[in-house]
Amino acid sequence: MNRGMPVVKPKNMKNTLLRLLELTKGQRRGLGWIMLLSVCTSFSAVLSPYIIGQIVNRVETGDIITRLILLLVAIYLSDWLVRFLQHFFMASIGQRMILHIRNTLFTKMKELPLAFFDTRRHGELMSRLTNDIDNISSTISDSLSQLMTYFCTIIGVLVIMLRLSPGLTCVAFVSVGLIFLLTKTVTTHTRKYFAAQQAALGVLNGQVEESISGLSMVKAFGREERLRSRFHENNAKLCEVATKAQIWSGYLMPIMNVINNLNYVMIAVISGVMAAKGLIGVGLISSFLLYSKQFSRPFVDIANIYNNFQTAVAGAERVFEILDEATEPEDVPGALELKEPRGEVVFEHVVFGYDPEKPVLRDVSIKIEAGMKVAVVGSTGAGKTTFINLLTRFYDVNDGRILLDGRDLREYKMADLRDAFGVVLQDTSLFGTSIRDNLCYGREEATEEQMIKAAKTAGADGFIRRLPQGYDTVLQQGGAQLSQGERQLLTIARAVLTDAPILILDEATSSVDTVTEQRIRRAMLEITKGRTSIIIAHRLSTIRDSDLILLMEAGQIVEKGNHEQLMALNGRYAAMYRTQTG
Amino acid sequence: MKLIFSYIRRHKKSFFTALLFLGIETLADLLQPTFMAYIVDNGVQQKDVGQILGYGLIMLFIAAMGALGAVTRNIYATRTSQQISMEMRSDIYDKVLGLSFENIDRLAPASIITRITNDVTQIQNFINGIMRIMLKAPITCIGAIALIIWQTPQQIPMMIVILCISFCLIGANMWIGYAKFGRLQKCLDRLNTVSREFLSSIRVVKAFGGQEQEAEKFGEAAGAFARAGVSATRVSAVFSPLINLTVNAGIVVLLWLSQNQDSGEIGRLMASVNYMTQVLFSLGMVSNILNTAVRAVASSGRVEEVLREVPAQQDGEQIGDAVTGQEEGKQGHMGAEVRFEDVTFSYAGAAEPAVTGISFQALPGETLGIIGPTGCGKTTLVNLIPRFYDVQQGRILVDGMDVKDRNMASLRQKIGVAPQKALLFTGTIAENLRWGCEDASLEELRRAAKIACADDFVTGFPDGYETMLGQGGVNLSGGQKQRLSLARALLKKPEVLILDDCTSALDAVTEAAVLEGLRENAADMTVLIISQRISTVMRADRILCLEDGQIRGFGTHQELMEHCGVYQAIYASQIGGEQVG
Repeated sequence: MNRGMPVVKPKNMKNTLLRLLELTKGQRRGLGWIMLLSVCTSFSAVLSPYIIGQIVNRVETGDIITRLILLLVAIYLSDWLVRFLQHFFMASIGQRMILHIRNTLFTKMKELPLAFFDTRRHGELMSRLTNDIDNISSTISDSLSQLMTYFCTIIGVLVIMLRLSPGLTCVAFVSVGLIFLLTKTVTTHTRKYFAAQQAALGVLNGQVEESISGLSMVKAFGREERLRSRFHENNAKLCEVATKAQIWSGYLMPIMNVINNLNYVMIAVISGVMAAKGLIGVGLISSFLLYSKQFSRPFVDIANIYNNFQTAVAGAERVFEILDEATEPEDVPGALELKEPRGEVVFEHVVFGYDPEKPVLRDVSIKIEAGMKVAVVGSTGAGKTTFINLLTRFYDVNDGRILLDGRDLREYKMADLRDAFGVVLQDTSLFGTSIRDNLCYGREEATEEQMIKAAKTAGADGFIRRLPQGYDTVLQQGGAQLSQGERQLLTIARAVLTDAPILILDEATSSVDTVTEQRIRRAMLEITKGRTSIIIAHRLSTIRDSDLILLMEAGQIVEKGNHEQLMALNGRYAAMYRTQTG
Repeated sequence: MKLIFSYIRRHKKSFFTALLFLGIETLADLLQPTFMAYIVDNGVQQKDVGQILGYGLIMLFIAAMGALGAVTRNIYATRTSQQISMEMRSDIYDKVLGLSFENIDRLAPASIITRITNDVTQIQNFINGIMRIMLKAPITCIGAIALIIWQTPQQIPMMIVILCISFCLIGANMWIGYAKFGRLQKCLDRLNTVSREFLSSIRVVKAFGGQEQEAEKFGEAAGAFARAGVSATRVSAVFSPLINLTVNAGIVVLLWLSQNQDSGEIGRLMASVNYMTQVLFSLGMVSNILNTAVRAVASSGRVEEVLREVPAQQDGEQIGDAVTGQEEGKQGHMGAEVRFEDVTFSYAGAAEPAVTGISFQALPGETLGIIGPTGCGKTTLVNLIPRFYDVQQGRILVDGMDVKDRNMASLRQKIGVAPQKALLFTGTIAENLRWGCEDASLEELRRAAKIACADDFVTGFPDGYETMLGQGGVNLSGGQKQRLSLARALLKKPEVLILDDCTSALDAVTEAAVLEGLRENAADMTVLIISQRISTVMRADRILCLEDGQIRGFGTHQELMEHCGVYQAIYASQIGGEQVG
C-alpha cells in the first residue's frame, strides 16, 4: 500500500487535538450551552418513540389520547426549537474559533523572520491560511455537538441494557471492541493520506500562485506545456492520495454494519439459547435486541467522526508547523526606546552569511558619523543589500556588532528601530489599495499636505495627477498598471513620508530616468540635510557628492573616502567611474 | 450545473457502475430490518435457536453483500469524483495559462487560486454526495410514501400538504443559500488576496512596521469570511429543523386521526408512523445533499466564469510557420526584422494611450537602443512585440509578418525577453536557465551564463548550477537575478532579443562586460535594449528616444546629440554634468 508514496509521519493525534483545545481557550464561550442543547436533542430522540408507543397502545384500547398528543406536539416543538438553536449558535461558535485560529496563525506569520518566507512558496503558505484551517473548521462545527449527543445516547442505553441483562450487555461489548479495532486500522491509513492530501494541495496551490505571478515569463518562454505537465503531475498526485484517503474512509461504515449485524445475531443466538433454557423471558430479548441496536449505532457514528478528525488533524498539524517556527528574536528585557536617534552607525567586525557556512560579509568595520551622506557601491553580489538587511535587522549578525548611537542594535526595541529607518528597497512592492494608502503605509496619520509634499519630493506628483483618479487611483496587483520607474517613485515617496531620521535607498532610482533622478536627488538633499542617509547605487554619477563612498568587494569594504579621494587613489572606483562615463 | 453534468458525462461508465453498486447497497439496507424482524418473530418468540441461526446467517450474508456493494460503490464513487475534480483543476489551469493579462487582471490571481482548489473541492463533494444518496433517498422516500398511501389511502391529502411544504422549504433553503455561498467564496477570494499581498510584500511590511496594519487587514478579511460562513450555515440551521417539524407534524396528524379508527387498523397505523420516520430520514438526506448542491452550483458558476473567459488575444491564421520558425532557429539564428507601423496602444481603463503613432524599424542583426524618461512607454513598446498585449492601431511586423497573423507559440519562440523585474521560479538555477532551451547541455548553460557574467557567481555556490532558488529567486541579489534572467533569454538563441533595462542592478563594470559579451556572441540577433543609462545605449547601432509615448528622436548617438533635445538632456544629466558642463 505504501509503495511510491511519500512517507508521511503520522504524528500524535491526541497531542494535536489537545493543542487545538488549548489554542481555542477563551474562544469556546457558548459551547457549554451547545452541549446542553445536544443533551436535549438526545432526550427527545429517546422520548418521542416512547410516547408514540404509548399513544398506539391507547388507541388500541380506545383510551383518550388528547393529552399524550399534546405532549408529543410539545416535544416536537421543543425539539424543533432546540435543533434550531443548536445549529444556529454552533455556526457562530465554530466560526469564532476558526477565526481565532486563523488570526493566530497570521499573527504568528507576520512575526516570522524573512528567512522563513524566502524559502517557501507563497501559494503553499496561502493554502495553510485557507484550506488547512477550513478543514479544521468543518470538523469542529459538524462533529462537536454530535459527539455530545452520541455520548448521552450511549450512556442512557447502556444503563437500560445493564438493567435488562448484564450478561447480554457483555456480549454487546464484543462488537464495541471490534469497532475500536477496525477504526484504529482504518484511521492509521486515512491519517497518513489526509496529511499527504493537504501537503499535495499546498504544492498545487504553490504552483498555481507562482505561475500566475510569473505569467509574463511563462508566456515569453513558451513554457505553458512544461508547466501544464508539471501541474498534471502534481494534480494526479493529489488525486491519488485523496482517492486513497476517501476509499479507506469508505471502508469504515459498511464493515461496521457487518459487525453490528454479527453482534445482533450473536445476541439473538445466545439469548435464544438462554430463553430455551428458561433463563430469560422472550419479551426481554426483543427489547434488549432493540436497545442493542440503539447502543451500537452511536459507536458507528463516533467512529465516523473520529475518522473525520483525521482531516482536521492533518490541517491542524500544518498550522502548528508554522506556529512552532521561531519568530524574529524578541526584544531583550528592558529594551531601549529609540527616540529621534542622531544617526551614528558603527559596524564592528561584522560577519554574516544567510547560510553561516557561506559568509556574505566578512569582517566589515566602518563608522558612519551622524548626518553623513554615505554611498555604497560595488559589483553585484558584493554584499551591499546585505549591509542594509543587517542595519534594519531583517537579519542578525553572526559575529561582531552594529551600533546605532553607540548602542548595539539588538538592545533597542525592534519597532522603534525600524521606525528610525526610511527604507526604499530594490523590491518595489506596492499594495492593491489606493495610491494614497500606499504612500501613507506605516504612517496613517500623515496629512494630505505632507503626503503631496512627499510625492513632489519623489517626483511622483506629476504622473499621479495624470492618472484618472489621481491619488485615489486603486493599484492593481502590486501596481501592474504603472511602469517600473513610476513604482520606484512611489516607493521613494513612501519612504520620504515616514520622515525617518535615517534614510536608506537601495537601488531606489535604477529604473528612473536620470533627469528625474537628479531632480529627486536635489529634493532629497534638502530633506536629508542633517540626517544620515545611505544610498546604494550603480550610477556613480549620482553619488559623486556623497561624504563617504564605500566600495564593497566580495563581502568586504575595499576602498573608502569621498569621490575626489577615491579618484586620486586611482583604484577600482576610479576604474568603474571611467567605464561609466565612457 | 450544466458544467458539472458535462464532466459527469465523461465518466458515465464508472458513474453508473457506482450507482449499480449503490442499488445493491440500498437493497441490502432495505432487506435487513425484515430479517431482523424474522429473527425476533420466528426465532426468539418460538425459542427456536435453529431458526435464529438460519435467519441470522441469511442476514449476515445480506449484510456482507451490502458491505461489498458499499465498498465497491465507494471505490467507484471516490475515483469518479476525484477524477472529475482533477480534470476540472487541470482544465482551469490550462485555461489560465492561455489567458492574456487583461483576463487575469479582471479575474484577480488570488481568486483564480481559490477557484482551482476550493471551488473544485466543493463540486467534488457534491458529485461524491450524489453517488452516495442519489438512489437511496428517492427510493426510500418514494417507497415509504407509496406504502403510507397504500396502507392508509385517506391520508393522501395530508401527504400532499406535507410534501408541498417540505419542498417549498427545501427550495427556499437553496434559493437563499445560493447567494450566501456565492458570497462566502468571494470572501475567501479576499482572504487569499490579502494573504498573497502580505507574502509578496513581506520586506516592505517589515521595513515600514506594517505588521499591525496587515494583521488588521487580514483580521478584517478573515472576519468577513467568518461572518459569511456563519450566515451561510445559518440558512440550513433555520430550514432543516423546519423540515423535521413538518414531517413530525404529519406523524401527529396521523395519530390524531387514528382516534376514530377501529382497533383493527392499529397495525397499519404503526406501519404508517414508521414509514413517516423513513420519509423524514430521506428528506433529511435530500436537503443535506441539496445544501452541498447549492455550494457546488455557486462554485461551478465561478469555475465556469474562468473556463468561459475568452483570451483577449487569438492566434493568427497562419499556423504553419511554427515548424519553419524552429528550422530557422536551427540554421544559425539569423536575426529577424522588427517593424512598427504607426502603432498606438492604450491599456484597458487608461485615459490616455501609453504609446502613440510609433513607427520605426530594426534591421536584422541590428542593435537598437531605447531610452526616455520614466513612464514614457518603453516597456509598453517592447511588450507589444511578443504580443503580451495587442495594438489598437497600426501594426507590428516581425520578419515581415504582422504579429497578429502569426502563431503565438512560434512568434514567442523567436523572441527572447529579459525583463526589468527578473522573474525566477522555485527550482534549481539550471532548471530556471533551461526555460530557454529544454535540452541544453551543461556546457551550453555555462556558455550563456558566461555571456551574462553569471557563471562566476553560480559556480561560486557550493551546489553550482544545482543551487535551489526560492520563489522569485529571493536568495539572490538583484544583479544576480538579472544576470540569470539574461542568461535564460540568451539560451533560447532568439532571433529578437529584448533587454528591458535588465542590467539596471548591475554595477558599471559588470554591465560593460555583459554588453561586450552580447556584442560578440549575439551579433546576428536583432537586439532591442532599453536602458536609463546613456552609456548602455550609446553604442547601439541606432537609438530610439521616447517621451510621453511618442518618438522624439531616432538615429545614431551622434545624430541624436545634434538634433534631439530630450536625448541631450539625458546625456547632460549623466555624463555632461561635471565633465562637459
